[in-house]
Amino acid sequence: MHQNRTKKLVTEALLLGAAILLQMIEPGLPLAVPGVKLGLANIIGMIALFLNGAGSMLRVNLMRVLLASLLRGTLFGTAFWLSLSGVMLSSVMVITARKFSKLSVIGLSVLSSVFHCLGQILAVSVIYENVYLISYLPMMWILSIPTGMLTGILTRLVFARIHKKGGIEDDIQL
Amino acid sequence: MKTLWKYAKMNRHDVILLGIVALCAALIYAGLFIFRAQNSPREKVAVVRYQNREVMRIDLSKDGVYTTEATLGTVTIEVKDGAVRVEKETSPYHYCSLRGWVKQTADPIVCLPNELVITIEGADDGNDINLRCTRTVRKNW
Repeated sequence: MHQNRTKKLVTEALLLGAAILLQMIEPGLPLAVPGVKLGLANIIGMIALFLNGAGSMLRVNLMRVLLASLLRGTLFGTAFWLSLSGVMLSSVMVITARKFSKLSVIGLSVLSSVFHCLGQILAVSVIYENVYLISYLPMMWILSIPTGMLTGILTRLVFARIHKKGGIEDDIQL
Repeated sequence: MKTLWKYAKMNRHDVILLGIVALCAALIYAGLFIFRAQNSPREKVAVVRYQNREVMRIDLSKDGVYTTEATLGTVTIEVKDGAVRVEKETSPYHYCSLRGWVKQTADPIVCLPNELVITIEGADDGNDINLRCTRTVRKNW
């Protein structure tokens, strides 16, 4: 199906809006383990990747982190740099994995979560000049598996609904 | 419910990835476990750093309650039975006080909103062979 530039731009803007909203409301969701979040905003990044390609995913994710921290008032604080490095590393790894591996969207979500954690830990280690912060990593990675799978499933559910409305080629496999 | 399972299908590559992730997590955990077993100093101190500079060095052999000023307000640190915890702090989700008691090296407490990190180190790190070696190596760079 033909997609002109305006349509792409509007789609991307809508996705960005949804991503910012999810990023903002996510810390308010109560979960069993304190400090763990599902990474709901990443669903939107995935949808951007599958709808409009790698550039779109990078733009949506980067702008989401920038604008959400601007809205929260934590721009250029420690949390912002952690978020930024996590999201950059995970986006780049997901784009690479989509190109060179046969992972489904569930695998990509888990991968994204894993590298988001790694990026955050690397950034916090550099900021505090402390290598022992890596001791947070095993627990984060183990929790990445269920949260990544869940966001992967949610991405499929959202995608199926967009698909029903029409506008996507039939051969897209998630 | 059956239709929902349809969306949870994974291929072989996904399963392999999950295995690798779990294995890496286990390896890092094991590595840290061995590191702690080999580097457990007899006299431990809790080093409190705020925004990258050391503000306090607390002897873990004496119980006590200490306070320090951080980004969002006063942080209360409690030492008891050779372990340290953040007792009270001002932050949105209180992750660092939920972390609870910590008594081992390589197991830091991080309070991100307060820009505060507490690590446990050996009190005699000046005489520590490992540390002295790294320092000499650094000087030679």
